[in-house]
Amino acid sequence: MSAVTVARQQQSQYLDRASSSALVDVVDLILDKGLVIDVYVRVSLVGIELVTIDARIVVASVDTYLRFAEATNRLDLARSGTETHGLPGLMDDLREGGGKKKTKGALEGVKESVSDLLHDDDDEDREPEPEERERHRRTRGSTSHRERER
Amino acid sequence: MMAEDARACYVYGVVTGDRTDEAVKDLPAVGDPEAPVTLVRHRGQAAVVSEVPVGKPLGTPEDLRSHAKVLDSLAEQGPPVLPFRFGTVVRDTAAVTDELLAEGHDDFARGLDRLRGRSQLTVRARYEQDAVLREVVTEQPEARRLREELRGLPEEEGYEQRIQLGRLVLDTIDAKRSVDALELDRRLGPYALASVSQEAASAEGLANASFLVEDAKRQAFEEAAEELAEHWHGRVRLRLIGPLAPYDFVADATIEGPEGKEGDE
Repeated sequence: MSAVTVARQQQSQYLDRASSSALVDVVDLILDKGLVIDVYVRVSLVGIELVTIDARIVVASVDTYLRFAEATNRLDLARSGTETHGLPGLMDDLREGGGKKKTKGALEGVKESVSDLLHDDDDEDREPEPEERERHRRTRGSTSHRERER
Repeated sequence: MMAEDARACYVYGVVTGDRTDEAVKDLPAVGDPEAPVTLVRHRGQAAVVSEVPVGKPLGTPEDLRSHAKVLDSLAEQGPPVLPFRFGTVVRDTAAVTDELLAEGHDDFARGLDRLRGRSQLTVRARYEQDAVLREVVTEQPEARRLREELRGLPEEEGYEQRIQLGRLVLDTIDAKRSVDALELDRRLGPYALASVSQEAASAEGLANASFLVEDAKRQAFEEAAEELAEHWHGRVRLRLIGPLAPYDFVADATIEGPEGKEGDE
């Protein structure tokens, strides 16, 4: 079954308590925070060249829209809809066959190759329809055209 | 003027004077990993300091981590800790006692008093991308329609629809975020004295919120967070960081005036 089901069977530790030393975390926690002391005592705060890390991304950009559109298009509703929320009314509407659940990571850049997507899910009997191939082909920055020529 | 190879005194923050030197032993120093972190005491208070070379700019990732590590280690041993802003450097240890601690004494005393027995806990919540996108498509007929429309279109086509779909998805997530952030506050807020929210740093981010929590309430707070994490399991990933030095609350705790106004947005 899915990874979700497996995780549920572990002892109920749903909260992530790992302290992270990821730079983005540290920056988020400390930068521009804390007491600022009187200027005349201080030797410096200026002259400090912070390694600038722009932790914030611009959310409302065309690029983001495209990323989310792509991720949304790649979603397999027919399959996971039943697992999580059960959407009987929508099922017919959304069933599009060729269930590929490999949408993980879609927003952070797709790791799976196109051929993985097309051939890996052996538990699915249905052959992806041509439109499906088009849909899955649309990985970010991918220019592979081979599956279209099949 | 200072020579290039001169040393100055990096200040991490201020703690109460009853801390032992052991408390800061072996902690990583900012600017010079070899330098020991020490306590400079003055009238019941102690500044947490280490020597830094003056000629070298501070601010490498390691520097940032060390700053946090020193303060958070102290917070973990027990509040109160008054964290200073990253990059605070004074001339030497004499300046720490004679100027910094002498002049700041009353403010620090106020802050130490108000933050006694209180630590910061920071919560980061992030949507599981597939789960939230599935919700969006389920709830938004228009998103389903656009998906249908885009299916089978070659990459070069359907640009407008893609933009439209992406925007709709993000708008819907925005709306969810407002609702879910309220839920988070409703569940955790009661166990905290104050809270501060930062805007989520990414499109999948739900919340980035810091809570000032009394030691006595910490377990209840953590249990509530665990409960919420279970409730949201599969849809939202919830992280709890801390106890930390009260980075988000220290400024308000030291200023004069009535207590309890800190950061409650």
